[in-house]
Amino acid sequence: MTDLRERLRVLRAAIATFACVYTALRLHELWAIAHLPAAHFEPTGLAWFVMPPVVVMAIACATVVLLAAFAAGWRARVVGPLAALGFALVFSYRSAWGQIFHTENLVALHLIALAIASWIDDPKGAVRLLALLTVATYVLAGIAKLRLAGLAWMDSVDGAQLRNQIAVDNLRKALLGGGTAPLATVLLDHPAAFGPLSIATLVLELGAPIALLGGRYAVAWVTASWAFHLGILLVMWIVFPYPLLGFAYLPLLPVERGIAWIRCRYRNDLPS
Amino acid sequence: MKLATIVLLALVVWPLVGDPRNDAFPLSTYPMFGEPRRTTLTMDYALGETASGERRTLSPQLAGTGEVLQAYALFERAVHGPREGLQQLCGEIAARVANDPAYRDVVSVRIVTGTHDAVDYLVRHQVGVEHDRLRCLVLR
Repeated sequence: MTDLRERLRVLRAAIATFACVYTALRLHELWAIAHLPAAHFEPTGLAWFVMPPVVVMAIACATVVLLAAFAAGWRARVVGPLAALGFALVFSYRSAWGQIFHTENLVALHLIALAIASWIDDPKGAVRLLALLTVATYVLAGIAKLRLAGLAWMDSVDGAQLRNQIAVDNLRKALLGGGTAPLATVLLDHPAAFGPLSIATLVLELGAPIALLGGRYAVAWVTASWAFHLGILLVMWIVFPYPLLGFAYLPLLPVERGIAWIRCRYRNDLPS
Repeated sequence: MKLATIVLLALVVWPLVGDPRNDAFPLSTYPMFGEPRRTTLTMDYALGETASGERRTLSPQLAGTGEVLQAYALFERAVHGPREGLQQLCGEIAARVANDPAYRDVVSVRIVTGTHDAVDYLVRHQVGVEHDRLRCLVLR
């Protein structure tokens, strides 16, 4: 139980720190978004109406401060729910202008779970909830592919569905001046690779629950999933910072052991 | 914690009940890349044009957003919405181009609807068909 309590503390510090830095780095973009024409606003999540740019920035800045306080564990019962609410509101607003992003969903869900955990003294249950949320988002993405494209996703002959997605996504970026991904054209020139890649994508997403078994299973799935996001970056130029930096997977791993190892190493290096 | 786990997980999987295209934040159907697609794409975007008629792609910042996908939505709405919105967007882009030294050779901004084959465009550098929706001069 002591280990799990320590793990939950590490998870809260790590996830809230990530959310804090991520929100701070998005402030300039939020400022630009807040100036878009109101006619383009489409309510989603907690963003129900257009707000003046100053209000948007005030909420975003307050969220950064709250997340920093939550990461430090300062008055977690009050600060945690406010930080989670602020993050969900700020990034609902970011997604309310015609394009819903999928880069912040899991961060928001993890923050909500951590806020709940600050009120209920059950570290084992809290860590399990965080792990379940990570796994659930991947399974949902796999189910969505099957619901939307059906068996076309498992077309092992040429993987046309995946190839077309990558091609069209890169074309859109090229036409809008965003540049194409470094490996996109190379891969598009070798269509035979797409069959195995599309099957691997579905196996990874729908097979995510295997990570809940822990141990080697968790490490194997986390490694494969991280490689998958690296692949997305290289062929689609889409950055999912939460999994790419490893934060999304922390609830599946015994992170407290890593911290203990660092502490031990640090102590041993201290001059006697 | 058990009750909280059940409630939160139920909320997360709740979007499965509806149409997978009805996406939201933070409770999502995660429909990205799931929709069946062809490689042919028709979309609206802005281009710069040099004095010699050369075609230049413009960065999404010039449309008022750093995000490519938001720029995509911006052009789509402007082209298919009221004419004034399109004129305003075109004028704003032209004004930003005029102040950006990276585009000093651009003399006009074209908002176009283009149809391209993605593989032909990216791998074989074959530009498809583009027709003008509006053209604005870059005044310096």
